[in-house]
Amino acid sequence: VTPSEGASGGPGREWEMESVLALRGLVLLRDSVEWEGRSLLKALVKKAALGGEQVHVLGCEVSEEEFREGFDSRVNSRLVYHDLFRDPLNWSQTGEAPPGGPLGALQVTCKRAGPGPVTVALDSLSWLLLRLPCAAICQALCALGRQHARPGGGPAGEPVRVLGLLHGELHGPGPRGALSSLAQAEVTLSGTGGQASAHILCRRPRQRPSHETLCFSILPDLSLDLQGGPPLEPHPDPHRPPVDPTTHLTFNLHLSKREREAKDSLTLPFQFSSEK
Amino acid sequence: MAAVATCGTGVGKTGSMVMAGSKNNVTGFQRRGPRASGSDSSYSRLVSIAGTRPSVRNGQLLVSTGLPALDQLLGGGLAVGTVLLIEEDKYNIYSSLLFKYFLAEGIVNGHTLLVASAKEDPADILQELPAPLLDDNGKKDFDEDVCNHKTSESNIKMKIAWRYQLLPKMEAISSSRFGHYYDVSKKMPQELIEASKVHGFFFPEKSSSTPNIEPCSLTHGYIKLLQFIQNIIYEEGFDGSNPQKKQKNILRIGIQNLGSPLWGDDICCTENCDNSHSLTKFLYVLRGLLRTSLSACVITMPTHLIQNKAIIARVTNLSDTVVGLESFIGSERETNPLYKDYHGLIHIRQIPRLNNLIYDVSDVKDLAFKLKRKLFTIEVRENF
Repeated sequence: VTPSEGASGGPGREWEMESVLALRGLVLLRDSVEWEGRSLLKALVKKAALGGEQVHVLGCEVSEEEFREGFDSRVNSRLVYHDLFRDPLNWSQTGEAPPGGPLGALQVTCKRAGPGPVTVALDSLSWLLLRLPCAAICQALCALGRQHARPGGGPAGEPVRVLGLLHGELHGPGPRGALSSLAQAEVTLSGTGGQASAHILCRRPRQRPSHETLCFSILPDLSLDLQGGPPLEPHPDPHRPPVDPTTHLTFNLHLSKREREAKDSLTLPFQFSSEK
Repeated sequence: MAAVATCGTGVGKTGSMVMAGSKNNVTGFQRRGPRASGSDSSYSRLVSIAGTRPSVRNGQLLVSTGLPALDQLLGGGLAVGTVLLIEEDKYNIYSSLLFKYFLAEGIVNGHTLLVASAKEDPADILQELPAPLLDDNGKKDFDEDVCNHKTSESNIKMKIAWRYQLLPKMEAISSSRFGHYYDVSKKMPQELIEASKVHGFFFPEKSSSTPNIEPCSLTHGYIKLLQFIQNIIYEEGFDGSNPQKKQKNILRIGIQNLGSPLWGDDICCTENCDNSHSLTKFLYVLRGLLRTSLSACVITMPTHLIQNKAIIARVTNLSDTVVGLESFIGSERETNPLYKDYHGLIHIRQIPRLNNLIYDVSDVKDLAFKLKRKLFTIEVRENF
């Protein structure tokens, strides 16, 4: 999966969020019970749709009406919605189920979509992880992200961008670690005192990953308002506390006052003074 | 095991000991060596494979891993017929670099390559290989602060070696030197890649619809990979079973991200998985394939993702040499002034005992690595 350059055409200051918006491949949005991520997902979907991309949404957790709520007509017309919420087990249709499950069906649709950048939003990836084997989902996500790089005919387009909403509390360290290793970027939502913040980790292949924490808010019309900078009360980043190398030593580097006095009053050998 | 004198396949039939009924000998055993094969002993016959050399300790045939510093730590190189397992660092930056060094060394030596991956197309991996350094003076490029001495010294060297200016430059690469240096900032030239023989295995392309697999058997991806490797070894004659094809070359097998969910294995996803023995069975069968052929294998594995620690212990036991990489990115050690000169630690977790009773371990256990602009170096970590 190749990352593209941050060709977002936004204003000068280059924030990680801007490069996340331009990044292709798998982008994980990790939310939690306190800080929900669906509104951020909808804001990114709106941005992609207004940017002229084809947007496919796989809706599993909320109904289509609820998902489309808040989008204006321009965005709604560009949105291709695959509804799994109403009939997840496909009981109403008597035809055969497509191979590869819902992600396989999505891949087929994307292949037929034609040229141009494509964004796929999974709402939510947690729903799929709870019902399908994790290894199969990882393989399908990689296949989704890769296919546009080698289409059947015509010039090689950009890889598909997959936005996956992942609920943090639902999964153990195994699936989270497996998906992290596949993702191009991870956006972890948290916040302090009413202000939502996003911690973004960008993994570019063959380069060091980069971290950033931003404050943001979602306006009522689902546009993203980036306030930049770390939140007002920065919680200590668990990754990087400044480490003092003199902690946890088995020997003592410092002298107490009494020890220093004793050391100063010591007479050195071979010093011939009047006392001796 | 492709050892010096006891390998019956592939290198020619040179049995080392025969019972001799001669009364002149003190013992009944007589080494059938120099007399039978004329002037060349089996020693020089093995050396004739490009890019290999016998170990100075026990005559084991070795290939270079592509990184001379790592060769030294492993006791001279990677033994032919064995597996080197690289435990990936968290973001898979440095382990993929070591993987590429191994493949690049194979191309420079003219070995046949087999590259298997479930994440990247092998053709893309080959495009990213580092470029070899052509001159024998290549080591001088790394001393970036010795520029003043460099020019005068190189002038002297040029005077002594003036004859060698006339030889074509390519000859310096295919010199019999074991282990080459590579420039990470440049890519390997396209002619070299095209001149080499590479078999690629990209799992998403090879997999058809997933069949129903009964429990306790290998994952679909592993079965396909083993069949592919076995086919290549048999058809190209690396195991000596085909009398028509006298293969005098080494097959370098590189497998990337083994054990990750992209191969269909879920040991990274759950702790109690259904096919927990799939990976260990794969390594066992692979080792059998390697021991009976002229090949060497490097596997990178994301062991930090494996949930069940017992599997990591089993995998370590089933591999011959195990090297672990621990990078400081994102960990608390990144800001620790003790580690500021280095990018990570390298742990030599296991060295094999091949035809030996003792290990070939170096005394130093405290090793750190650093990726400079052009070179990956491994150094002994200096304590404060």
